[in-house]
Order: sequence, then structure tokens, then C-alpha cells
Amino acid sequence: MSLSGRDAYRAELTALAEHDERIICLEADLGGKGHPFQSHHPDRFFNLGIAEAAMIDMAGGLAVAGYKPFVSTFAPFAVLRAAESLKLTLGYLGAGVTIVAPYAGVSGAWFGTTHHCLEDFAVVRSIPGVVIAAPHGEQEMRAVVRAAVTSGRPHYIRTGRNADYTSLPSADAQQSVNWEHAGHPDSVCLVSVGEEGTRLCLGAREQESDLAHGHLCYLDHEHLADAAADLSRAHRRFVVVEEHRPEGGIAEALGLLMPHCEIVGVNVGRQWSSEGGDHAEVMARLGFDLPAVLAAVRTAQDW
Amino acid sequence: MTKTIDSSTQLVRRARLARALVVDMAAGPRGCHLGGSLSVLDILIAAFHRADSDEGSVVVLSKGHAAAGLYAAMYVSGILHEDPVAHYGRAGHPYTGHPSPALPGVAFPTGSLGHGVAYAAGWALARKVAGSDGLGIAIAGDGELQEGLVWEACQIAAAKRLENFVLVVDRNGGQNDGLVDDISPMPGLAARFSAFGFDTAEVDGHDIPAISAILGHSRVGKGRPLAVIANTVKGKGIPPVEGKAASHYVSIDCARAATWKRMIR
Repeated sequence: MSLSGRDAYRAELTALAEHDERIICLEADLGGKGHPFQSHHPDRFFNLGIAEAAMIDMAGGLAVAGYKPFVSTFAPFAVLRAAESLKLTLGYLGAGVTIVAPYAGVSGAWFGTTHHCLEDFAVVRSIPGVVIAAPHGEQEMRAVVRAAVTSGRPHYIRTGRNADYTSLPSADAQQSVNWEHAGHPDSVCLVSVGEEGTRLCLGAREQESDLAHGHLCYLDHEHLADAAADLSRAHRRFVVVEEHRPEGGIAEALGLLMPHCEIVGVNVGRQWSSEGGDHAEVMARLGFDLPAVLAAVRTAQDW
Repeated sequence: MTKTIDSSTQLVRRARLARALVVDMAAGPRGCHLGGSLSVLDILIAAFHRADSDEGSVVVLSKGHAAAGLYAAMYVSGILHEDPVAHYGRAGHPYTGHPSPALPGVAFPTGSLGHGVAYAAGWALARKVAGSDGLGIAIAGDGELQEGLVWEACQIAAAKRLENFVLVVDRNGGQNDGLVDDISPMPGLAARFSAFGFDTAEVDGHDIPAISAILGHSRVGKGRPLAVIANTVKGKGIPPVEGKAASHYVSIDCARAATWKRMIR
């Protein structure tokens, strides 16, 4: 059984900190009890309380002093409540702070819109210098955390709540495109983003095995430009699947990077979710499900 | 402590030089936040002097709009090696109207109020984790205390017992649109910090030896962060603007600058 993205982050960071005394783990009261980093490295674990903006700025202070701070809080609070700290500390200052943001998309489900985050790509992608990753599965999350520790660059890492996802056969997160299935050049290519986007693309591939499928882990402009070059060399028609608003999302960005390609996006649209339900039910209500992906494939195939 | 007393005359001299530089920046093409730069100058001079006494202290001017005061204080303290007056606000130079980390000696970007307090607290936490000496000294305005982020950071500093975190409040009583007392008064300030779990001290913010003495006391073993409420005068040192809310942002010509510099006290 694989770990959820959140647990994989905690496990990997805890292991890395055994050999790197500069790693510091900060939480804003949403790390839960029994955090492995706290039990293994209590002198480098700090629950700073419900103070997201201060946490990110203090992480900036730690980074300038030579440490590698990893901070974690729910995506809506990290990206929207603490947006200015994100801009100044990770962007302008370029401090080597990593934000790990669970509860991205609508993974918060029945907790409601305050606990959803469908705007993070739009916000963080507009802040130059921040590496953005949306890993799928335990292995990819571990690889992204390792890379963040090594690089010293500011990172934003998006993940969901507690669901676990089976890692792709190749979990080399450093590839610009992880080709789960390269497919024929004339076939429609699914482009998966994030945990649920990847799950849906794999589901579509089960129904239509001829579809190509490229998975994107890193999503900042720098990485996406490389991915766009690889994608457009291999295919012409794309269906981009992401648990995000259409505006500021990855499909929109790829459209600008691949002006000669046909792209249709599958996303959660522009509604607000104000009903209960589990993650899958909320996504379906917002039009983000397998039928939507297959319908988008039909559209792309008709081009 | 001995070093502080012996050097007090030198520090006062630095402050006079720095005031003249600030006036010159007000006479530059952009003008500057004159009143707040002059109110905070003596605090900055004392804080840089304190930070110079060890390897591990940092001074963060959280009220970043007083950048002209910061640059002047850094120059007279030997942190900057070029006269900032010729470069302030000009293209091709990092002397922006709010401090940028692009300028050597500036560790953090400030100007959007509140952030500098949290940056300094983060620095203090780093020194604590490392088991090393050194203070994180933040200098905030009294108007700035209206920002929630300030109190988030103070809450954390007290909760984590960051005894090496020092927040100096430049209480000049003014803010952009008028007086703090008219807009959002903050009575009982020392009691507020005390209630948050801070040690507190109150000082004449233009008495450099007194500020230096407070900052020079060891914080080891205190177990609580320190808030220093420094009572200051907006526009301090230039009689025509002292205590005037209109001194918040000033642009003057060279003739007036020359007159004002002769009046510095």
C-alpha cells in the first residue's frame, strides 16, 4: 500500500533530515498529531500555531540564516491567505523555502469552499522563480521533496488530502514529460496534472488504450516550457486534465506555449461548491470526472 | 556596555551626519518619507551598533518606507560604502523607496508592513536552533502595529520563547493619513506586549546611549522576547518639520535642503 502525498512528504522529509541538519519542519496547526518529523527531530520541528503568513515569513528568516525550512498548511491558506508572504519571501527574496500544500483542489470535499483551493496554479505560477510541482503517488512526491532539499530553490508542492495514488511505472519526476503511454503521433494525447488529473487520465486510457498519455509533475513556467516542447514534438491534439479553475490553469498556459496545437481543457469550471459529498462527488458536481474527460477526447478526435 | 558608553559620542555624531543625508534625499528627484526616516534614525544607529558587536545579529527595518533613513544609517555605520544620496530612487541603483535585498546589507524585503517583524523572528529562531548568539532585531512603526501579521509574529515569538527577538517600536504617533491616535489608537502598548509574553522597555527614541544600553543587555536566559517602545518625534532634528504629520513624505529643493541642514539638532 502506498502513502498519500501528505504522508509521503512527511516520511521523506523525516528521513532526509537524518542526514541534513539544516532541514527544519514548520507547521501551522494542521500537521496533526503524531507527525514523524516531530518525533524524530523534535528540536527542528515547530508548530507555530494558526499563523500562515508569519510562518512563511519566519521560514524566510530561517532560510536566510542558512536553514532549509519546509512549511506545510492547507493550500487555500498557504496560497491565498498568505499570498503576499509567498510573493515576497519565495518570489522577491528567493528564499529557499518549500511550501507543501495539502487540501489542494476540492480534496477538502465536504469541508466546503473555504477548504478548497482551485486557484493555486494561477497565483503561484504568476510569481517568478518559484518551482511548482503537483506530484502523483508516493514515489513522485518523495522524488520532488528530495529535489527541493537539494536545489535550495523556493518550491510550492501541491497535494491532496489523505487519498493515496499508485505511482506511475516511471516516477522520475525530473522528466519534463513522464510518458505513461507515448501513443501514435496521430492519436489524441492526454496530459495529466496532479493526483486526480492523473487518475482520470489513467481511467480514460483503460477505456481507450490508443490514447497517448503524458504526465506533468513540474508546472512552473520554466518546466512547462520544456514540457510544451516535448509534447508538441510528439503530438498535435491534447486533452489537459487538471483539478483547477480554467483561468490560470495549465491548459491555458500550454495553449500559449503551443499555439499550433489543438488543446481542450478538462477542469472544475467556475462554480463554487456549496454542498457536501466526498471528493469524487464534489468533483463530479463540478463537471470534473471521467465522462468529462472522455467527452473532451471526442471533441479532440473530431478536430 | 562599556563599549556602548564609550562610543555614544561617535554614535550621536553619526546620527547628525545621517540626518543631513536624509534631507539631501528629500531634495532628490523623488523626495522621501522624511518624517519617519528622521524619527527612526537614532534607533537604527543604535541597532546597527549593537549588531556590529557580534556575528549573528540582524537588523530588519520593518517600516520599510523609512528607507532613506535606513540607507543613511547604513552608510554612516559603515555597512554601505557608497553615499546613497546620489543613487536614491534612481534607475540602475538598488536604493528603492522601500528596501530591497538587492542592496548589500539588506537581508529582507520590507515596505509592505508587518513582514519585517516575522522575518526578524525567523532569524531569531534560526539562531536559537543553532544554539548560537545573535539577535533578530525588528524595527516597526507604531502605525504598523495595526497589521495583524505583527501580532501573529509576536504570538509565535512569545510561544517559542524567542528571548533573542527584539521588536523596537518607533512610536512617532503618525501614519500615512494622519495621527495614530485619530485613526486607530493603541493605548497601553507596553501592557499589550507584556500580555503577549514580552519583556518591555520604554525609552526616549532619540537617546542613543539609552537605546544602546537596552540593546546591549544580554538576553540569555530571559525566556521572553523584548519589546522596546521608543518614543520618537516625526521629523526629529529638523525644527520646521518636527512633529508635523505633513512630514510623512516630503520633496524639497536644494536651497531648502541647505537651510534645513544648517538647522539640524
